[in-house]
Amino acid sequence: MQKHFNIKNNIQQLPLLAEELEKMGEEWELDMPLVTNLNLVLEEAISNIVFYAYDDEREHEINIAAEKNDNKVVITITDDGKPFDPTKKETPDVSLSAEDRQIGGLGIFLIGKIMDTVQYKRENEKNILTLIKLL
Amino acid sequence: MELTTSKKGDFTVAAISGRIDTTNYNEFETQIMDIIGKGENNIVLNCENLNYISSSGLRVFLITQKKLMGSKGKLHLCNMQPAIKEIFDISGFSSIFKIFDNEEEALV
Repeated sequence: MQKHFNIKNNIQQLPLLAEELEKMGEEWELDMPLVTNLNLVLEEAISNIVFYAYDDEREHEINIAAEKNDNKVVITITDDGKPFDPTKKETPDVSLSAEDRQIGGLGIFLIGKIMDTVQYKRENEKNILTLIKLL
Repeated sequence: MELTTSKKGDFTVAAISGRIDTTNYNEFETQIMDIIGKGENNIVLNCENLNYISSSGLRVFLITQKKLMGSKGKLHLCNMQPAIKEIFDISGFSSIFKIFDNEEEALV
């Protein structure tokens, strides 16, 4: 089973993404907690793209492809922003107390924790992030 | 996201409902900071109807905690849905916050 959707590099499009995922979850009969987690992972990845990938003021399209088979869901996010490899980002120390915890850096960390595999590649001037969740 | 507040004993209880995400976390932050700005130092955040939170929302929880720790106040969370609790666990937030099973226990 496959699904494709595109969203613009505008943070106000995130609710549309949530709607698409909910529909997908129903069609593919995914558990509600899994759909919520996929929504979270996509929000973190896409908000990073929207906020940091583009220096111009132009509209860009971010492509999301989802595929489900017997034992996994694979989500691929493709954008034409500047090169950014989230798998190389420093992970926050989650054992620190409130005083010492930094505000931020959590988004990419959550993606890595929730998904089973996170792969990045740069191809044809595009960032391609592949996220795999085993079922 | 909606925040409904009430005064119970020494605490201001703020019940959160809906989603806190990148599109509305600043609204949540403004409302919480308003409560603190009015001099309320002990806050219970009832999360019973909070059904989604992303890192931008978690950041507001952390900012609130830091702020109330600075003024020797209390921030208690309660009635968290399992999926939200899981995100708190993964983030290491469960050890930063005092999380109670229900509102009654949180009002201490």
